[in-house]
Amino acid sequence: MSAKRFDQAHPFLTLALVFAAWLVVPTAVKRVLRAGFFEMQAPVEASASYIRDLQEFWSLKTRSKNDLIEAGRDLIHLNAAYEVRLQQDADLRAQLERLGRLLNLPAPEGYRAEAARVVRRDFSGWWQQLVIRKGSNYGLTVGAPVIYAGGVVGRIREVHAYTSVVELISSPGVRIAACLEGDTRPISYQGGINPTLSPARGEVEYVPVDVFVSPSAPRRLVTSGLGGVFPGGLTIGSLTNVEPSSDGLFKSGGVQLDADLSDLSEVTVLVPEETPPAAN
Amino acid sequence: MANQGSERVGGLVETHKGYNPRILFFYFFIAAILLTLGGGLAYRQLFSNDRYHEAEKKQNQRRILVPGPRGIIFDRTGRVLVGNRPRFAVTLYLDQLRQDFRAEYIKIRKAYREADDKNLPTIDQMQRIARFTVVRRYLDQVNQVLGRHEELDSDELNKHFRQQLLLPYILLDDLKAEEYARLIERLPVNSPLQVYTSSIRSYPLGSIAAHTLGYVTGNDDIEPSDNFPGADLTTFKMKGTVGREGIESKFDADLQGETGGAIYRVDPSGYRVNPPLSKRQPVHGHDLHTSLDAELQIVAEKAIVETELNGAAVALDIRTGEVLVLASKPDYNLEDFIPRLNHDKAKQINDQGAWLNRAVSGIYPPGSTFKIVTSSAGLLAGLDADKFSVDCTGSIMVGARRFTCENGHGIHGVISLTEAIAESCDSFFYQFGLATGAEKISATADRFHLDRPTGIDLPYETKSMLIPDAAWKKSRRDEAWFPGDTANMSIGQGFIGVTPLQMACFAASFARGETVTKPYLLHDPERPAQHTEPIGLTPAQHAAIVQGMVGCVDHGTAKILTTIPSMRIPGLTLAGKTGTAQVHGKDGNLNIAWFICFAPVENPKIAVAVVLEGNVGEETGGGRNAGPVAQAILKKWQDTQSRPPAPVITIPGK
Repeated sequence: MSAKRFDQAHPFLTLALVFAAWLVVPTAVKRVLRAGFFEMQAPVEASASYIRDLQEFWSLKTRSKNDLIEAGRDLIHLNAAYEVRLQQDADLRAQLERLGRLLNLPAPEGYRAEAARVVRRDFSGWWQQLVIRKGSNYGLTVGAPVIYAGGVVGRIREVHAYTSVVELISSPGVRIAACLEGDTRPISYQGGINPTLSPARGEVEYVPVDVFVSPSAPRRLVTSGLGGVFPGGLTIGSLTNVEPSSDGLFKSGGVQLDADLSDLSEVTVLVPEETPPAAN
Repeated sequence: MANQGSERVGGLVETHKGYNPRILFFYFFIAAILLTLGGGLAYRQLFSNDRYHEAEKKQNQRRILVPGPRGIIFDRTGRVLVGNRPRFAVTLYLDQLRQDFRAEYIKIRKAYREADDKNLPTIDQMQRIARFTVVRRYLDQVNQVLGRHEELDSDELNKHFRQQLLLPYILLDDLKAEEYARLIERLPVNSPLQVYTSSIRSYPLGSIAAHTLGYVTGNDDIEPSDNFPGADLTTFKMKGTVGREGIESKFDADLQGETGGAIYRVDPSGYRVNPPLSKRQPVHGHDLHTSLDAELQIVAEKAIVETELNGAAVALDIRTGEVLVLASKPDYNLEDFIPRLNHDKAKQINDQGAWLNRAVSGIYPPGSTFKIVTSSAGLLAGLDADKFSVDCTGSIMVGARRFTCENGHGIHGVISLTEAIAESCDSFFYQFGLATGAEKISATADRFHLDRPTGIDLPYETKSMLIPDAAWKKSRRDEAWFPGDTANMSIGQGFIGVTPLQMACFAASFARGETVTKPYLLHDPERPAQHTEPIGLTPAQHAAIVQGMVGCVDHGTAKILTTIPSMRIPGLTLAGKTGTAQVHGKDGNLNIAWFICFAPVENPKIAVAVVLEGNVGEETGGGRNAGPVAQAILKKWQDTQSRPPAPVITIPGK
């Protein structure tokens, strides 16, 4: 009878032993096991994303020639517009360089843009993150800013061999030195608590008291460039509401983030370029 | 028997029959113990429950108080005179570093043991080293982000750890906006390093009206409101401020924000256990709208500075008594008090005599401006303004002493009251005063409240003003009152001492034909016009004196204001009186230059009093030096009258 009881308790005993063993395993071993698990999982996810890309490719192949011709025309228009913008950009760069030389300003820090496909989106009330299909194999580093056509996506939180985890700006763990468009005073932006499937929002602090916004008259919140991580002028979202803080020194408020953040398929990582050593 | 015998033998076997009386003692003993224990338990659980609960609370809970920002001080048009601005600091919450301290301590202890060091530090010393090492690591992190090379003060760190563990430890203070921007972007959100914002005073218009506004100093003992919970708990207080001078001091209770804070549970080592049990946000203090006009104040201060003399200027709204200007020079730079005044600056202020608010605490003989009081007293005493005249030959004998006429060329010839006021003829007023009598002049001055403080809403208004009379001289100097004393008093010399604010109030009162003007420093758009006891002069008598004051500006001792084209104020009629009194300074005699006036004559709205302290050996005069200061104030006042009223804008902290 007692032997039978022991047999029934055997799985629980085993589980307890495994737990006990896990507790006494050295931290380094645990870390290796975790990283190994992620690296083992990464090829599966990367393969899945390649398959999704292939599916997308074949779904596009089914489009009619008329659609392709129209898309081609749109592309030509876009390219033309971008050409003009590029030219303007080049002129502005030249002017900036000239002014910088006149004022003996140090050259601004540069970034290398690294486009990466999104492998997985992971949204919950606890974290908001993406897994992208590039890692240390492309020289990505922890903390590097990630952007897309609509503005800021977030920062890289973990870098693995072939993948990286990007913490989105809707996540409470991301804080950015922002400012309002046309205003240089720094504002602290931080991701908010965003339940799943709800529109992503963030929070701002240290908003100057003379800033007035409303949902019908929002103002664009951009990166200030003062923090040293993100270049200036990138869109974060729209400041839709502010209210005075109790100390009367500032206002705090809410930021509406771009809905596309939850539907990204490709992002760009800005990898800080290392400054070449000065020539002797 | 056999049975009995067997029972005796069997008596050694335990039996339950009957009682052993000896065991009863133990029953009672046990019962008493149980009762004692039960009673004690009941006493503690039922009757002492609250006491133990309180003791437990005191042991396990800590209260942190955070001061509320002070209210904003505006001028009468809504310009911010004193605001608040944020002060950013990077702080470290030491109570979140318990694990780090412990790990570092173990590492240090191990290192010492492995090194087999004979001079092994004590546990306390190793803990201090561990704390220093951990905190310095964080400071290095901040230095790296900001590109600084700041060092850590070990003693300060340990003092903070011992006494204020739950308060944030300030690593770097007064960060620039760019620096705090770098920190909020580069520091992890959950780092023990955080950017902390406190509020300090700012002066958007610079250091104007420094004496009037006053300054604040640090206050380590902020007090919460009565209904703030946890009064009996161990409390940690963030540094607040307290007003030390001027409006900041007088209205400190209104300006002080409501203290906020939180109550935390702590573990046996005093480390915080989040989240707080209760929390209350600090609340902004009440804003104050002063009666000062910033534009006039700036002009007045600039005009005094341009004379290169020490002095004061006061301007009042005649109707309501609201103070438009209250300037005193030299003064101090209010920014120097943030965060605290250093020794060198304090010495500089001391050497310059800049602590004194000359407008309300400077005592000066009023000189010839007092002749308006003498004139009023004489006319009230029955002297006839039209008939009383004097032949000024430059001096008169009063008793055995010759009194000279110091104004003009010294010989005014036959002169009436109106013209004597305009020309400030001393000979006339010696005789006019003697004819009036010292008692009546003193009594009239008292009616104008020149013998007492005005009661303005400022701390430290002097009470040393003096209108002398025979009784005073007897009691204070044990001397009789002589006619020479009356002659001296008639021209505002001798023992008389008044403040510029008193003379401005007097000018305002006289302009209204009344005796008292109560000055107010807070602006109230609904403030009613002041009506006090009339002087008692007939309209003709009042007009005779006013005519003399107009003549003073038109062709008399203050004619500089009309004869020099740049000094004229077109469209504004002015009634004024100059005064130049002589005082004995420590380095010799010097002149005190006065000018009091009101305008417009036909409908008086503003009264001004200016005093300047001359330098030894220099000829400083009321018309020449003090008059232009009043002219600058009146000119700006006239400009502001022609403008639409400025909207009242209240942007706290802007």
